[in-house]
Amino acid sequence: MKELKDNIINRIKANFKDATEKNDFSYNRLDFHVNKETIPSILFYLKDEMGFIHLSHISCVDWLEEGEFEVVFIVWSPKDKIKVFVKTRIDRNNPVLDNIDMIWRQANTYERELKEMFGVQFTGLVAPEEFILEDWQGPPPFRRDFDTAAYAEKTFWHRPGREDAQNVRETISKRDGEEIPDFAKKYER
Amino acid sequence: MREKATTLYIGPQHPGITGNMMVKVQIEGDTIVKARTEVGYLHRAFEKLQERRNWLQSFTLLCRFCVPEPDPVEESYARAVELLEGREVPERAKYIRVLVLELARMASYMLWYGGQNGSLGLYTMGQWSVGDRNYILDLFEELTGGRIYHMYIWPGGVRRDLPEGFESKVLKTMDYLEKRLKDYDDLMFSNTIFQKRTQGVGVIPKEKAVEWGVVGPVLRGSGIHSDIRIDDPYEVYDKLDFIVPTEEGGDIWSRALVRRQEIRQSIRIIRQVIDKMPSGEYYNRIPNPHKWALPKGDAYARTEATRGEVGMYIVSDGSTHPRRTHFRGAAYAHGITLLEDLLVGENVADISAIMNSLGTCPPEIER
Repeated sequence: MKELKDNIINRIKANFKDATEKNDFSYNRLDFHVNKETIPSILFYLKDEMGFIHLSHISCVDWLEEGEFEVVFIVWSPKDKIKVFVKTRIDRNNPVLDNIDMIWRQANTYERELKEMFGVQFTGLVAPEEFILEDWQGPPPFRRDFDTAAYAEKTFWHRPGREDAQNVRETISKRDGEEIPDFAKKYER
Repeated sequence: MREKATTLYIGPQHPGITGNMMVKVQIEGDTIVKARTEVGYLHRAFEKLQERRNWLQSFTLLCRFCVPEPDPVEESYARAVELLEGREVPERAKYIRVLVLELARMASYMLWYGGQNGSLGLYTMGQWSVGDRNYILDLFEELTGGRIYHMYIWPGGVRRDLPEGFESKVLKTMDYLEKRLKDYDDLMFSNTIFQKRTQGVGVIPKEKAVEWGVVGPVLRGSGIHSDIRIDDPYEVYDKLDFIVPTEEGGDIWSRALVRRQEIRQSIRIIRQVIDKMPSGEYYNRIPNPHKWALPKGDAYARTEATRGEVGMYIVSDGSTHPRRTHFRGAAYAHGITLLEDLLVGENVADISAIMNSLGTCPPEIER
């Protein structure tokens, strides 16, 4: 496994000068960190030249404090039985990345999801229809600074009599103009 | 003369669809010329909710990612947490996990027997297999307390040990189901209607299969030997003896044959697990979950489910709550890009048969 990992690291570093590796995993995993411009070419290289033919996953992590998104591509080589994580950081205020659905067809779905949920724009992505969110006007909801509670407060309204932490018995008696019976008063909070 | 294309909406509420999802098809006569999957009826933002929960509280959500087969999702999350933390799992717990995963695989395949036949109008099969599936659910109920949602596999091992006399009950159920599978063959695979409706329908060519992101039994039905249990072994699958069946056809019939053999392999695995089950601890206790912080980093664990590869990517910023969890389901490729390509040129009556054969699970597309 060590020889295999070293071989992959050497080949990647020889071809992509900006790639830095992380190789301290005891199991069959290897990480590469690259600039965002390198993403399509390194994935093409991994797939066509090195046998990483299966795309397992594309994910995006919001590092709000650092003002960056980290986009992660996980690819798997059935021949060498090893998974490689390709990671890149993009500016949170201008999240643009190259589209890779010409390399793997199913990447299209992941990109549509990240576009809606994080607002990551993929250059050249052909996805005419909205994916999950319908008529969504607000900010991308999976970003860390999206306040779900405030959004719910603003968008949905409270029905009268359904406020939180209320005394239900008292509210009903007031609403209907009924006296609270004596036996019930001893359960008052 | 070229007929004008008609647009047809299959779903989101439709008995042939495996959940809340719509397939919008354009047909000319009976032939589909364009298909488009539309989702958005089911999104529950589980991954956003998980960011507000500690590492253990996610489990009530995890089992709802894919209702017919929740255990692989729980297992992949638990294993991702263990990978990130470096937590050891007792040997006995690993065997119990394999037992649960294989029982879940059988239960899911028995539901598939019903769905696949139901999509062709053959309803007897579903009544038999879903009825027999209840025997597996009985086992789950005794083991975990729940029939469908188990929340049994969790970080550090499993939630409780096997009850007294559980092994013999499992073996007895396996003997019964093995006998029943012969009846299933007579009813399903010897049925001319089933053969004629599935052979040569929904063909995924071998050379295209990997490129399209196909995984699991669907990939094996196209003649490619690929199984995470063998290729990237987890738990104790590398200590067990089983074969991964493949078929060359690439059509619904081949995929059905693969599943038919896999359910027999599951029985074989379960018998070995019971035979080899070591005694000892079943749980490596985690600290107080409210103060349990995982080291900064990320991990991805993947599991072979009946639909193919399911996986969980988790990221920790060193706190008691996840920074991000992201689920990978097989239906992302199968239910959207693959289905859209595969339906073109097929008959409109075969839509739900093709969907069922791909193992599409809409709840895992929108978590």
